[in-house]
Amino acid sequence: MKENEQEDLLKEVHRIVSQCDRCGSCRLVCPLFGVKDIESASARGKNNIARALAMGGLQPTPEVTAAVDFCLLCRACVETCPSKVKTDEAMIAVRQHLANHQGGTSVKYKLLGTMLKNRSLVKLVAGAMGVMRKVGIQRFVPRGMIPAEYTRQQFLSAFAGPAALGATSAMSSAPVTVQTKVAYFYGCGMRMMFPDAAADTLAILRSLTQPQLVDNVCCGLPHLAHGLREDFLKLAKENIRLYEEADVIVSDCASCSSTLKHIAGYFAADPQWQERALKFSQKVMDLTEYLVKAGYQPRQRVNAKMTFHEPCHLGRGQGIKKQPRELLKAAGDFVEMAGADTCCGGAGSFHMDYPAASDGVLAKKQASIEKTNAQIVVTECPICLSQMVKAAEKSGGKFRAMHISQVI
Amino acid sequence: MMIANEIKEKIRAIVGPENVLDSDIDCFGYSYDSSFVPLVPANKPDIVVRPLTTEQVAAVMAIAHANGIAVTPRGASSGRTGGSIPLAGGISLALDRMTRIVELDEENMMITVEAGVLTGDLYNFCAARGLFYPPDPASYKYSTIGGNVAENAGGMRAVKYGVTNNYVMGLEVVLADGSIINTGGKAIKNVTGYNLTQLFTGSEGTLGIITKVLLRLIPMPKVRNTLQLMFGSLDEACATIHKMLQSGIVPASAELMDKISLQAVARHRKMEIDPATEACVITEIDADNPEGLENQAKQIEVIAQSFGALAIRIAQSAQEAEDIWAIRRGLSSAVGAMAPDRLGEDISVPRNAFPEMVRRIRKIAEKYNLTIAVYGHAGDGNLHPSVLCDLSNSDQADRVHKAVHEIFAEALAVGGTLSGEHGIGITKRPYIASALGEAGVNTLKMIKQALDPQGILNPGKIW
Repeated sequence: MKENEQEDLLKEVHRIVSQCDRCGSCRLVCPLFGVKDIESASARGKNNIARALAMGGLQPTPEVTAAVDFCLLCRACVETCPSKVKTDEAMIAVRQHLANHQGGTSVKYKLLGTMLKNRSLVKLVAGAMGVMRKVGIQRFVPRGMIPAEYTRQQFLSAFAGPAALGATSAMSSAPVTVQTKVAYFYGCGMRMMFPDAAADTLAILRSLTQPQLVDNVCCGLPHLAHGLREDFLKLAKENIRLYEEADVIVSDCASCSSTLKHIAGYFAADPQWQERALKFSQKVMDLTEYLVKAGYQPRQRVNAKMTFHEPCHLGRGQGIKKQPRELLKAAGDFVEMAGADTCCGGAGSFHMDYPAASDGVLAKKQASIEKTNAQIVVTECPICLSQMVKAAEKSGGKFRAMHISQVI
Repeated sequence: MMIANEIKEKIRAIVGPENVLDSDIDCFGYSYDSSFVPLVPANKPDIVVRPLTTEQVAAVMAIAHANGIAVTPRGASSGRTGGSIPLAGGISLALDRMTRIVELDEENMMITVEAGVLTGDLYNFCAARGLFYPPDPASYKYSTIGGNVAENAGGMRAVKYGVTNNYVMGLEVVLADGSIINTGGKAIKNVTGYNLTQLFTGSEGTLGIITKVLLRLIPMPKVRNTLQLMFGSLDEACATIHKMLQSGIVPASAELMDKISLQAVARHRKMEIDPATEACVITEIDADNPEGLENQAKQIEVIAQSFGALAIRIAQSAQEAEDIWAIRRGLSSAVGAMAPDRLGEDISVPRNAFPEMVRRIRKIAEKYNLTIAVYGHAGDGNLHPSVLCDLSNSDQADRVHKAVHEIFAEALAVGGTLSGEHGIGITKRPYIASALGEAGVNTLKMIKQALDPQGILNPGKIW
């Protein structure tokens, strides 16, 4: 059984990467090649390492593991590739293969996976992080794991003074039927790092509907990305069960909504779960996608210049590009930044695993933000947001970072 | 061949330790290019060296020369014939850090750049100043100018503007022994000594390491537009292009793709193709003013209609033109993705032999029961037949090799040649004698012997 799975994974890897013509066009857009310009760091490099592994030309050494771990899964290469080689899917499959081969994924990812698998532990950590934020000791925790949250209240007191245009309540204009049962998906990242922003999401949802609160489990992306596919499937099943009553599932984390939308694909060959998974995935909506559909109007318009960092899992992951910008244009003075859809270097735990590369990628993002003279950079993913907070700190206060729920 | 540690240390001292890679996985990254040379077993270099300056290149070459170490220069490794594959191990000399634009001489309309500058960056730099560097191989956005010069890359604009060598005025070259020479210069007329500039251009890294390039530029055409023409037969498509050229309408490019190629692109794009379509022509026209442009477009429309075009699309915006060109630029890779293996060829024939050559390729495809996609630069007679196959199937592999052999023979028979713009590299080596003759190949060997007596520069290429 295990052996079959190993073979299937390699076949899957080979099927994807053998489409790579090695032209190298991905090297222009790969954010990691942009900061570490050697071949193995590029999408072409990693795809061909995977291909050689599948062909028996490379052995599954720690070097190979390190090479395929060094990928943001941001899909910038997929978009630009003439053959649309799905580097992210290949990397996920090859990581799984290597994890199986080595008798499991690394201790680091196992610990992270175990923590995120457990509802109570996530809540515990969220509580601990909240306390640390309150007493101001989060500065001592490395790598911005506990970013300082700039709250909606602070935002309004700074920007919604006399200069702010009249706030409008959008309650009546929402064309959501009374029957639509909307449920909120509370992602681990939002819960642990940005609970205030999550509260704002709920406030927005409450202005439109009566959102159901479900005690959901992790979306499973960290597990999927790091060779813990079994855990991912278990979590997916649990979430499918939990949301069976809902008509629409809304998440304010782009990584969660993107992952949940893709769950159906992982059960396509499972007769027992196929239908339920498909139904589940079809109900998932990203927050801004839902809000635009529901005709939501921002609660206020402020005189702040805002720009948007587009999470990979939102734009390339779900094709949602217009909606957040539309909302921001209504909420303030929106300005587009160059390379808004380029990865910020956060990418799950990548920023902790490869701090130097991550900082290099983020520095470019920071320069882009500063060039717009925006006062606020807005995004819609807790990992992105923690990166944006880091960039804001490094900019010396030139701009602030906020979740979209806090400004619309 | 192993490189001794003390030699590696010397090289590290020259380029900096961070610019020398020798771990197995890093070396693997420098073992391939975009050709169909198999990925496994890998042709790994023993060491990857990434110099920043000409002096560093010269110092590294002096060490390689003194120790008889093979050196294979490399730009972006986007080549199609294995030119940058370090077949004999040794040093992979990656020039991609040499990205300086050294000088723009606006009065003489010439630019000096280092070898690692991306051709796309060079194009954009010039375009921002109203100047035009025309050669545009499909890879131009991510390939390097050094690689383009070393392979004498062509491109789609060749029909009107020529290929890379038509723009190379001079070179800085590091020779096998580490000495540095400068060839050519800014003087338009220059017959002092042999024309070494043109000798090194297209020498595929076998005669010296090109470190700087002096290029001539022309004024950027004021306006340009793109047309897409669909035909029910290849003959009608070719006839349209020939008639255009004979009528004095020289398009900047005239690209032709057959039905199989179109289907390959359609897989990845929202494209609806009329089932009667057998050939598609994409052509770019340029002019000094909008009237001139419109005039050309109208004339092309009339000619295309007279040959029974099924559909004529004239781009209405720069974005639409870009969308049409994206189809062509992504073609090679899209065709390659249609089968486990693709043997992409690069034959070049006299322009009027284009339809006949395509017919002969079709016959070969039928004879060997193979799928062969054909596309290419119909305006200049350069075709890219791509044999789609699975080389792990030994019966098929045998048929493929016979078919490729016959394609080359037919190309020579109609007065053409083996390679228009990709070079010979590794993949076309077996056929060079039939194209050049024994005396011809011997002449190449004598030149090689004179410049690289030890044979350390890019060994195993061309013949």
